[in-house]
Amino acid sequence: MIPTSSFPTQSPLPHRSSRAAWFFAAALLFNVPTAYCQDVFAEPPVSPPVTLHFVTWKADHPQAWNEAIQRFEEAHPRIRVKREMAPHSSTAYHDLLTQKLRNRESSLDLFLMDVIWPAEFAVAGWALPLDTYFHQSEREKFLPATIASGLYGDRSYGVPSRIDSGMLYYRKDLLEQYGFSPPSTWNELARQARTILEGERIAQPLLRGYSGQFKQYEGLVCDMLEFVGSHNGSFLTEDGRRSNLTAPESLRAVRFVREQIIQRLATPAALTYQEPESLAVFSQGKAVFHRNWPYAWGVANNPRHSKIAGKVGVTTLPRFSEGRSTSALGGWLYGISAYSRHPDKAWAFIEFMTSPEIQKHFAIHASLAPSRLALYADPEVLRANPQYRELFPIFQTARSRPRTPVYPIVSHILQRYFSRVLAFPGTDIREEAEEADAKINRFLTLTKEARP
Amino acid sequence: MSPARGTTGWGMVLPALAFVAFFSLYPAIDSFLLSLYSEFPGPEPAFIGFGNYAELVQDPVAHQAFIVTLGFVLLSTTLELVLGTGLALVIHERFMGRGVVRAAVLIPWAIPTVVASQMWRFLLNDQYGAVNAILFGDRVDAYVPWLADPWMAFGAIVLADVWKTSSFAGLLILAGLQVIPDETYDAARIDGATAWQRFWHITFPLLKPALLTALLFRTIDAFRVFDLVFVMTQGGPGDATQVIQFYGYKTLFTEGRVGYGTTISVTVFVATAMLSLFYIRTAGSKLLQREPA
Repeated sequence: MIPTSSFPTQSPLPHRSSRAAWFFAAALLFNVPTAYCQDVFAEPPVSPPVTLHFVTWKADHPQAWNEAIQRFEEAHPRIRVKREMAPHSSTAYHDLLTQKLRNRESSLDLFLMDVIWPAEFAVAGWALPLDTYFHQSEREKFLPATIASGLYGDRSYGVPSRIDSGMLYYRKDLLEQYGFSPPSTWNELARQARTILEGERIAQPLLRGYSGQFKQYEGLVCDMLEFVGSHNGSFLTEDGRRSNLTAPESLRAVRFVREQIIQRLATPAALTYQEPESLAVFSQGKAVFHRNWPYAWGVANNPRHSKIAGKVGVTTLPRFSEGRSTSALGGWLYGISAYSRHPDKAWAFIEFMTSPEIQKHFAIHASLAPSRLALYADPEVLRANPQYRELFPIFQTARSRPRTPVYPIVSHILQRYFSRVLAFPGTDIREEAEEADAKINRFLTLTKEARP
Repeated sequence: MSPARGTTGWGMVLPALAFVAFFSLYPAIDSFLLSLYSEFPGPEPAFIGFGNYAELVQDPVAHQAFIVTLGFVLLSTTLELVLGTGLALVIHERFMGRGVVRAAVLIPWAIPTVVASQMWRFLLNDQYGAVNAILFGDRVDAYVPWLADPWMAFGAIVLADVWKTSSFAGLLILAGLQVIPDETYDAARIDGATAWQRFWHITFPLLKPALLTALLFRTIDAFRVFDLVFVMTQGGPGDATQVIQFYGYKTLFTEGRVGYGTTISVTVFVATAMLSLFYIRTAGSKLLQREPA
């Protein structure tokens, strides 16, 4: 339990004299011999090695990361990289990282940013603008959507480490057996799934039509963005100033998800699924269609984890007949803390980690889709990931979630709205959308007022 | 008391007072001060007096979270007291292996809540959960996604809490049972009282102080429930299990609205403090002071 009374022991208010007092007390307590040090190492022959503190998550492929960082340290013998592992969940990682940044920890140099954070980090002054390091000529070598996700205003705060975007996985064997080609519209997907389920009712009673991520969490926002977007709807108006959930296009898309996906094809169990649970259903052979990020390709085709290895197809997500296929943009950017004492060294690390060689290493050994355009023509990358040929257009058009410094608030409002209309079939979608619209508008206005 | 003795006395309580002041009083006051500031992306928090409290009163999400929390408190504490009394009566009797049973009863309470919550999440899983396996066995098509239904998810959280803390209530009640003198029961037996009459006219009235203590502890604890929700449902589906502390956590840590988040935790703090006072004032003062002679 978190004790009520000690919730925020760390004060975010600036100019606390107590901090200096603490430092003094700690110096006395641990007998930090500052003067003594200066005497002994008055003129060091070489500058002492710098240790960069890098907050990262526990990676799916730790070996690939260890190797990449080892290669960096070999190339830069005066720099050590110390990793601090945070939770893998984006929200939990965000909570830990922002807590450190709010405390202005100078022992934090580098971090990874989810694509939805740069606006928040920029306005709060946590992320260092990278314009002096990350030149236009270099930015042009990356996928435009990933570069755009690192921008706030006209400054760049993050260098894309890779790209993620939503895509449709399907059972090649089942579709072939029933004479279907991959669906291009959601209604076609629903029809195909119903036919296959009907045909397999005796042989595979547990087979579901669709598996996706519909738990109340960040992933729900991505999945719903794809449905709403592919019905020509959007979360915010084009200028990004107002919430747009009551537009008829988005209401119809939400109704489709409630009535066709949750209540029929996916079953309400999907309301408890994040990526791993929904992928498990698919790779255990219990779903015809599955929505996930690029990493699922490797898992679904790995015979040790999957019963359907080799029977998996992947394609762009379907659209509604009056819309365009929409794929949510995900992925992680490298950022430098504004409180870092070694921004130059931190940049050297980022430059190395996002270089073509290292991205290629990650593409081949960790199936992370590169953010650099040129690698999609690289024969070695394509040999390890033949699906990139098909997916490249998706990577170029992936749609970002709203870019606003209050994104965490907007996301919570969206999560509540979508989860409520999906979990309570009796709710009036329009009423719920109006409520969400009003709340989102209120916060968008507040931030507009807060800034000149 | 002589002045010298007073000084020594103060000197002796001083370390304890300093400890309480530093670890309880200071954070509480600091939280309260923080709750008077509005915090938005950007470096400058603005002093807004009780603006956050005014917003909380009008916030429908907070209202819902309060209702969910109250429902949780009412259901879980009632069930825990009933089950705890049953447990206490059983382990109060003399029987073979009582020591082992007493220890075993406490196991759920000794498991860290985060671990227990994760365990319940696995037990209730729609694909491989033990609850489904026990209820439906091989009829896999009948398996229920317990945490997908708003009401069942709420019930699951109550169930997990009852499973985990009934034994704690039982332990407090057992202590109450042990101070009831055997002679009262002997006298009642001679007068021909049935087992039910003995329970209702002797055990229950004399047990009231212990029950009240258990009620007090469980209410306060249930009011602050967080980890069960954090691990099992993340407040979903559709905010059906979003308790007030989890809402506070989300606004404070994820949304970064420090002012509003602390407002919520200060409100929970005040609410639990008032609840405790209410218990002690209405029923408690007389009962707690009356020593069972």
